[in-house]
Amino acid sequence: MFTQLLWWAGNAAEVLLLVRSVQGKFYRKYPTFYFYLGSVLLVTLLRFAVFTFRPGSYPALYWYTQYFAATIGYAVILEIYSQAFKKYRGAVRVANGLLLCILAAVILKIVAGAVSGSGWSPGETMAALERDLRALQAALLLVIIALLAYYKIPAGRNLTGIVVGYSFYVAASVVSVGFGSLPGFGPRPGWRSVLPITYLAALSIWCFTLWSYHPNPEPSSGSKIERDYKFLSEQTKRILSRARSYLKMGGEL
Amino acid sequence: MSQLLPYLFLGLLLSAVLAWWVWDAIVHRGSAEVLAPQQPRSSVRSVGSQRDLGERIFGPQDWDFVSRETTSEIQRIFQRERTVLAIAWLRRMRLQVSQVMRAHVEAVQQSEDLRLATEIRLALSYFMFLFLCNSLIGWVWFRGPVRTRKIVRQTLQWTVQLRGVFEQLMASVDPASCGVARTNFNRGTVRN
Repeated sequence: MFTQLLWWAGNAAEVLLLVRSVQGKFYRKYPTFYFYLGSVLLVTLLRFAVFTFRPGSYPALYWYTQYFAATIGYAVILEIYSQAFKKYRGAVRVANGLLLCILAAVILKIVAGAVSGSGWSPGETMAALERDLRALQAALLLVIIALLAYYKIPAGRNLTGIVVGYSFYVAASVVSVGFGSLPGFGPRPGWRSVLPITYLAALSIWCFTLWSYHPNPEPSSGSKIERDYKFLSEQTKRILSRARSYLKMGGEL
Repeated sequence: MSQLLPYLFLGLLLSAVLAWWVWDAIVHRGSAEVLAPQQPRSSVRSVGSQRDLGERIFGPQDWDFVSRETTSEIQRIFQRERTVLAIAWLRRMRLQVSQVMRAHVEAVQQSEDLRLATEIRLALSYFMFLFLCNSLIGWVWFRGPVRTRKIVRQTLQWTVQLRGVFEQLMASVDPASCGVARTNFNRGTVRN
C-alpha cells in the first residue's frame, strides 16, 4: 500500500513538473532535464502496463529500463554542467580537465579489468552495472559541485534545485544500490522503499524550485574597473578617516 | 562488505559537498558585489610588519623577561593573555588569506588563460595553509604560544610562499587586478 502511494505520488509530481514547464515555457531553458523527466515518466508507465498485462515479462523489462534510467541520468549532469559553467570560461577549463581525468580513470579501470580477466565486467549483473553507473555520476557531480563552491559561481533557484535534487538522489542511490546488492539487504521491504522515498524527495525539491523560471545571475565581468575603483576609493576614504582620527587624538592631547 | 565501502564513502562525500555548497550559498547570498565591511582595527600594515608582530607574539623575549622578573601568578596571566592574542592573530591571518583567495577565484572564474596545474597547486597550498592554521589555533589553545613558535615560523614562511604563487598567477591571468590584489594583501583587507 505504502509503495503504491509512493509510486502514484511520484508520477503525479512528474506530471505536475512537466505541465508547469509547458505552461511557463521554461522546458526550452532546461531541455535536457525535462527530457530526462519525460523519459522516466514514460518508463514508469511502460512498466505499469507490462506489469498489468504481461507480468511474466516484467522482471526482465524492469532491469533493462532501470539501466536505461541510470544512463539517461547523465542528461541531468550535462544540463547542470552546461547551465552552471556557460559564462565562466576559467572555471569550465578546470571542470573539463577534472572531468576528463575521471573519465580516463574509468576507462583505465575497464581496460585493467578486461586485461586481467577478473574484476569489473559489464555483464556481471545489471545491479552491479547500475551501481557503477551511479557511482560515476556521483563522482562527476562531486567535481561539478566542488567547482561551483570553490569558484563561487552563483546559481539561480532553478539550477540550485536541479543540482540539490539530483545529487541527493544519486548519493542515496549509490549507497542504496551498493548495499542492496548484498544478499541480506536486497529483499528487505524497508530497504526497497529507500530509493522511491529519495526520488519522491528529489521530485518535491524540483516542484518547489522549478515552479517558475529563475535564470542564473549574470557574471559581473563588465563592472571590474568600477569595482576596483569603488574598492580603492573606499580604502582611501578609510585611510583619510583614520588619519583624521589620529589628528583629533593629537589635538586632544 | 569491504568492497562496498568506496560506494558508501562516495555517497557520503557527495552529500557533504552538497551540504557545504548549499550552506555557502545561503551564507554568501547577495554579497558577491558588496564590499567587505571595514574592520575598525585593521590597520595599513604590510605583511612584513605582521610577520614582526607574529614573531613578537610567539618569540621568547617577552616570556624570558616575564619568567625572570615576575611571580608565578603574573606568569600565568601572561600565558593566558598571550594565548588569546596569538589565537586572534592566527584567525586574522586566516581571514586575510581566505579573502585573497576569494578575490582570486572571482577574478579568474571567467579568465580564458587559466592554467589547470597552477590552479590545482594554488588550491592545494591554500587548503594546506587552512589546515595548518586551524591546527595551530588548536595547538596554541592547548599548549600556549611560547611552545609552538617553531611551527608558527613555518606557517609564516608558507604564507609568504602562497603570496608569491598568488601574485605570479594573478600577473599571468589577470594583470589588471594583480596590482589591486597585491595592495589588498599588503593592506590586510580585501573586498569580499
